[in-house]
Amino acid sequence: MFKNEEMEINLGPQHPSTHGVLRVKLRLDGETITHCRPMIGYLHRGVEKICENQTFFQGQVWTDRMDYCSAVANNLGWAEANEKLFGITVPRRAQYIRTMLNEFNRLASHLIWLATHALDIGAMTVFLYAFREREDILDMNEAFCGSRLTTTAFRIGGLREDLPPGFEKLVKKFLAKFPTCLEEYENLLSENRIWKKRTIGVAKLSAEDAIALGVTGPVLRAAGVPYDIRKAFPYAAYAEMDFEVPTKTEADTYARYLVRMEEMRQSARIIQQCMDGMPEGPVMAKIPKILKAEVNEVYHATEAPKGELGYYLVGEKGSGNPYRFHVRAPGFINLQSLPKMAEGGLIADIVAAIGTLDIVLGEIDR
Amino acid sequence: MNKLLRTLIPFDIAKGLSITGKHFCKVFFTANRRKVPFHIVSEYPEVVAKVQPRYRGRLTLLKDEQGEIKCVCCLACEKICPTQVITIEKGKKEGRKMPFPVRYDFEMERCIFCEFCVESCGFDSIILNHQFELATYNREDFSIGMEGLAHNMYEPSPVGKFSVADD
Ligand code: SF4
Ligand code: SF4
Repeated sequence: MFKNEEMEINLGPQHPSTHGVLRVKLRLDGETITHCRPMIGYLHRGVEKICENQTFFQGQVWTDRMDYCSAVANNLGWAEANEKLFGITVPRRAQYIRTMLNEFNRLASHLIWLATHALDIGAMTVFLYAFREREDILDMNEAFCGSRLTTTAFRIGGLREDLPPGFEKLVKKFLAKFPTCLEEYENLLSENRIWKKRTIGVAKLSAEDAIALGVTGPVLRAAGVPYDIRKAFPYAAYAEMDFEVPTKTEADTYARYLVRMEEMRQSARIIQQCMDGMPEGPVMAKIPKILKAEVNEVYHATEAPKGELGYYLVGEKGSGNPYRFHVRAPGFINLQSLPKMAEGGLIADIVAAIGTLDIVLGEIDR
Repeated sequence: MNKLLRTLIPFDIAKGLSITGKHFCKVFFTANRRKVPFHIVSEYPEVVAKVQPRYRGRLTLLKDEQGEIKCVCCLACEKICPTQVITIEKGKKEGRKMPFPVRYDFEMERCIFCEFCVESCGFDSIILNHQFELATYNREDFSIGMEGLAHNMYEPSPVGKFSVADD
């Protein structure tokens, strides 16, 4: 009787495992997904348009609120895009501090991914442990710039203030215990038979498809493409850092998990190098009090925790506001690969597919 | 053979359980002992949470030693605020050369605590204090001005006393 009937259902927008207000339209044949379309726009605030009506200095606060799990990485992209537009050189100490905070932010973002992804699939313990470590990183954010999530950490031309006293001790304490914590997560998950059954071979996305769809970040690297903007077009102080770009060729959810775990190790390595080689000197370049643009356009891409985060800025002669501002949000473009991953799979696996993409709806809808 | 053994005996599950067991024991034997600093769980409303020195809380007007408001109405903070929540009205006061703010209104519900205003002030006349318990029951309580019973620009907002209407 039901043999030839397909059922259409909505996943979300208020579903705990869609990580925000994502709505996915699904057509099901039994338990198999035959058609999948993500519907977005529930969190649209018009960040790009707001920034066009604000000065270059003020624009940074809106970038905090795009990808709220990795605000520091967004701030870095904004500050560097503006520095490119105005031709400002940032002092070396500021570059190092920026790099270090950016890597801390990558850790925080990956930890929140690990926590929520594992929770979606059914591993509750990792959620609590990962949030414990994330708390320390947020405390460091608070010590540096006074806020935990919406950091507004950098300024065009450098930093507002130097590192606070006692920051080094916090970093040392964190780096001393973090490798054991990572091992703990891996002991809980990597070998676990339920975790393996739920992730191996699930939500595959081949390298060809990933490149065709413009997917970047860990999802692309898990398909075997070693593309990392930190290596390809180094920014901040990444040219002086020694780190590896982990890749896997399986292109499934388990491979993405392994890639992200390895990335966390590399991030800890970069932080250690930043601490060891921290140069002395000023943290702010000399910039005019009111920034006035020339007719000019820049595109600046950075490697945010989720993928390539690009800022496109157009300046107008004598104007203090950007004429046009556009964000290439990694989450938005990575989400376009969801139909490719989910169609033909089971409905229970779409939760794994959404989790493995590591999306934040604040960034997708902007 | 090896694989069969591994399937039959759940080593992987045992590994996970040993980790959670270890943590459980640690918590079980050390919790509620005063000497062991137990930092993961903090008893927030009973024990006041500590904030870092740079914490960004509510905007506060500062006074100098004579009890005079330090602000000289240069309007830099009003201009730089990304959400335009500060409104200042310039005025004069007897016996004071510098301009004096007759009105300094601050709409806290739209403030995003970015500290741009403090950064732009060349006279160090405002700070963001260390308050984070800022919730109230009424929307009007977010409009903070120079005058006001419970809420004004010089003193921190009352904690636990949520509404002007209460007093
Ligand atoms: S903290 Fe930011 S939003 Fe709040 S009043 Fe100051 S400048 Fe405006
Ligand atoms: S910037 Fe300082 S001195 Fe100027 S109006 Fe604001 S508070 Fe007053």
